Amino acid sequence: MITAFIHKFSSPKSFVNLSEKLYPFFLILGVSMLILGWAWGLLFAPQDAVQGNSYRIIFLHVPSVIFAQLIYFFMAVCALMHLVWRVKLAAYLIKSAAPIGAMITFIGLLSGSIWGIPTWGTWWQWDARITSTLILFIMYLGILTLHGSFSNLEKADRLMSILVVIGLVNIPIIKKSVDWWSTLHQPASISVSGGSSIDPSMLYPLLFSVIGLGFTLISLGILSSRSYIFTREKNKKWVLEHV
Amino acid sequence: MFNLAFNNLKEILDMDGHGIYVWSVYSIGIAMIFLSFLIAKKRIKDIQKKIKIKNASS
Repeated sequence: MITAFIHKFSSPKSFVNLSEKLYPFFLILGVSMLILGWAWGLLFAPQDAVQGNSYRIIFLHVPSVIFAQLIYFFMAVCALMHLVWRVKLAAYLIKSAAPIGAMITFIGLLSGSIWGIPTWGTWWQWDARITSTLILFIMYLGILTLHGSFSNLEKADRLMSILVVIGLVNIPIIKKSVDWWSTLHQPASISVSGGSSIDPSMLYPLLFSVIGLGFTLISLGILSSRSYIFTREKNKKWVLEHV
Repeated sequence: MFNLAFNNLKEILDMDGHGIYVWSVYSIGIAMIFLSFLIAKKRIKDIQKKIKIKNASS
């Protein structure tokens, strides 16, 4: 029953048709919330008592690193679907999501490095959180390189999925690195279960930024996956009719 | 909560000396996200063009 359900709703054709309808909604919602969150955080949120105005980087840094990890988790779920149920759409989504994951991880690393200059007095430290995030960035590049190195695309999809599942071990390491090791990076200020240590005047714009960036990246993912699906399925009748 | 944290544009840009860090981060971030959208849009257009040419010739 699960297999039938998955195969019914995971055809590339259904995905393209549905995503085309959802794309403008996600894009408008994402960009609007992002503009609101960033304008609020950059212009209206009060100055931080310790870090001054440099803390305003948080409204890009935190959403970036959250989605750097969430995109990888999404790819791992897709990889399992591809390996267990042979869902080819899942492999297409991994290949489309990986460059977005690499881009947003790079933004997270870069924003953290620039933030480190006025805050820590250094742009880089080989501490657990930063190093494990760098490994995540290398994983994204490795996944793309591995897939690009095979001419047999079905084989490339399978091997890429296996690599994605193996790399999943890095996600809890990134998450718990600030608790397991003594690091320069501060512990998490927000948790799903334990509330937040951030003042509401800074927390609300941060939440808007996180949700806004999420919807923006989903709309980017829809665009990216559509182009990849068309490339892979270009000889299929439905693509010829659709275009 | 909705009082402007700065008095004028100069203060917004300067941010007590931290403006260079803050605005460079947002400029690079926005540019990268915007560029990703442009690349994705161009790829869709290119592949659609290829498929249309193939359709027309067959």
